[in-house]
Amino acid sequence: MSEIREVPLKPAFNQSRQAREAEVMLNHIVDDFIDNPAAMSYFYDLFRHAFIEGQPRDREGPGIGTTCIQVPEELIYAAGGTPVRLCNGAYHYDQVGADFMPAKSCSLVKATLGRLHSEKAVPDVGKLELIVNPTTCDQKKKAAQMMEGMGYQVYDLDLPSAKDNEAAREYWRRVVKQLAARLQKVTGKKLTRQRLREAMAKTSRAQAAFRTLHNFRRKAPSLILGKDVFLVTNAYFFDDIERWSAAVEALNAELAQREAEAFSAVQKKAPRIVFTGSPPIFPNIKLPLLIEEAGGVVVADETCSANRMLYDMTAVDEWLVSHMIESIADKYLKPCTCPIFTRNDDRIRRLLDLVSTFNADGVVYQSFAGCQVYEMEQRSVAEALNKAGIPMLYIETDYSPDDMGQLSTRVEAFLESIKTRKRQARA
Amino acid sequence: MSKLRDAVNKVDLKRFRFWFQLAAFVLFVYGGYLAINLGNSLPMFSCGYLRDGRAGVCYLLPLQHQLARPWPQLFSYAGVAVLTGFGIFALWFIVLNKGWCGFVCPLGTLQDWLTSLRQKLGIRQSGYTHEQFRRLTWIKYVLLALLLLIPLGIGGGLWSHEVGAPFCQICPGRMVLPLFVGDFSQWTIDFSTPGKIVLTALGMGITGLFIVGSFVKKRFFCFFCPMSALHYLLSKPALLRLRKDGSKCTRCGDCYTACDMEIREIADDVTRKEIMTDDCTLCLKCVAACPEKGALKVDFANITFFESTEEGFIKRMNKGIRK
Repeated sequence: MSEIREVPLKPAFNQSRQAREAEVMLNHIVDDFIDNPAAMSYFYDLFRHAFIEGQPRDREGPGIGTTCIQVPEELIYAAGGTPVRLCNGAYHYDQVGADFMPAKSCSLVKATLGRLHSEKAVPDVGKLELIVNPTTCDQKKKAAQMMEGMGYQVYDLDLPSAKDNEAAREYWRRVVKQLAARLQKVTGKKLTRQRLREAMAKTSRAQAAFRTLHNFRRKAPSLILGKDVFLVTNAYFFDDIERWSAAVEALNAELAQREAEAFSAVQKKAPRIVFTGSPPIFPNIKLPLLIEEAGGVVVADETCSANRMLYDMTAVDEWLVSHMIESIADKYLKPCTCPIFTRNDDRIRRLLDLVSTFNADGVVYQSFAGCQVYEMEQRSVAEALNKAGIPMLYIETDYSPDDMGQLSTRVEAFLESIKTRKRQARA
Repeated sequence: MSKLRDAVNKVDLKRFRFWFQLAAFVLFVYGGYLAINLGNSLPMFSCGYLRDGRAGVCYLLPLQHQLARPWPQLFSYAGVAVLTGFGIFALWFIVLNKGWCGFVCPLGTLQDWLTSLRQKLGIRQSGYTHEQFRRLTWIKYVLLALLLLIPLGIGGGLWSHEVGAPFCQICPGRMVLPLFVGDFSQWTIDFSTPGKIVLTALGMGITGLFIVGSFVKKRFFCFFCPMSALHYLLSKPALLRLRKDGSKCTRCGDCYTACDMEIREIADDVTRKEIMTDDCTLCLKCVAACPEKGALKVDFANITFFESTEEGFIKRMNKGIRK
């Protein structure tokens, strides 16, 4: 199978399957909407270059692949490397990766494996010196050995599955310190206080920019659409962090201007949606796109490709390397709302908070077929939201475009029911 | 008004506390020379052994003396003096709550200075495990009970006056604070009676522990402080309050990282609104270290004057990063 789908060497990259898939999605994101912010063109171009033209991304130092948000990027930067998030959203790679995983497994894991297995894969991030693979869900755990089989160096980052007890905190701090030691070996650079500070400054700038963007989305009517924000946060996976931060700051400046001009990116009555569950990763922005094409707007999210990745910030009390690493470790464990943990109270609390502070009308819960942890949490999240009187649409899907028609009907019905609810509430 | 609130929320708490504590230290250690006298019922270690320098006396000293009166006296007219003393103590306390510990207490300030010294030397901090914490947190109540019961026993004739003011004999404040007015006379072991030998020797040992302990662990002594226990028992009506809105908390643990007293509840408890625990010193570092708007706030008489904000957090953290 995979031989047949191998990218032909001669034709231009933009004729390959993954390029076409990316192009179709990007065209929808860009062309289906009027009034895209001008500052978004940085991101549109970035994805065009990286995914459609197959241009390599330049970067400093050894590339360190990461497969989940729990890998402390500050340590990678401080050790002189560049983190690249490998989680993939392409249906093409999903099919390539299907050779490795059982049929009923999650598209994201399959696509990530498929991308690592393919030659000339996009985005082209160059050689990876190491892949740091946090032991989150079972599928990611088992993926580590398969990546090794493809010739990559893989480091298992042992994430505790219960984060509430002190033993977990202490264990995780040790795990992160061991990672720091390994990274120094890979890059050959010592992780000093100064270098760690500079690394934290980079991340902190990016987070501050993200938070400002996040806060602009509280405004009703919305200043920016969710499909654009997902593209922005997706760019964080592989873009240069300084360039990314500058581009987001430029976007924020434009949004501030939009706010001053009382600009509205959507209809006044557009249902405001909080997106949760399995992460939309380019080119699979299918569901957020459907929501916004149907007249809704994604105002916030609780996913590991956006909010969960960039929102929580590190506080340090004593600026000594050991304490800084501990603070960083805590940040990657304690506030994490990943469904792989034994309990999901924090996730529910965050969802309720997002709905109330972003004035949202409903929640859309995406679960990739085969992503058991999200599938299993669906019931408790639905119950909690139901209790709070918040409508939720649960959608099980994968990377295949086949269910777009069916999904759009369901999304439209959901948005329509929200509108009716609001009308009735007003009457 | 909103500009002022903004400025307060963005305050560099570290610097503010440093200067506030320094001013309080100077006031209570040297204020006496300027004839300042704020009475004998202060809710922090303005040590009586400072003699001329002190601007008021730690309530624990007169309390222990008063309780050592003979019972017939204590339970009649002298009881009035005990109650007035306690009343004045409670009034002082109610204003600042445990803020006395985090901002005013000279012994607390001294520990913060030792911490700064350690940080400057690049030595990492130590802490307790959760288990150790749970086991040790009761000691302050035991000390409080002893400092009340031993004097009462003296008054009842159960034991002799040689163990009078027992806590002061073992309190590191007695030995350490007079050093700042050039008085080394407390650094002796009193061989006059067996009871005094035991207490002053214990005091010497505890002072040594205090210096070493607070060098390696932030606010080492406060964890065992009976004054802190007494504070907590009276804290219900206090005006200065630390409050938490659990719905805004992400449990990220930033506040716990900042906490000198290693109080886990500050990060993990999302149900309790009144989040000040018995170990808290109301230093407010947790509020400054919280990035979630309004998750932690400080109220005075139910008016919020300092709360956690994203902007404040980013400003304060960037300062640390750029240093």
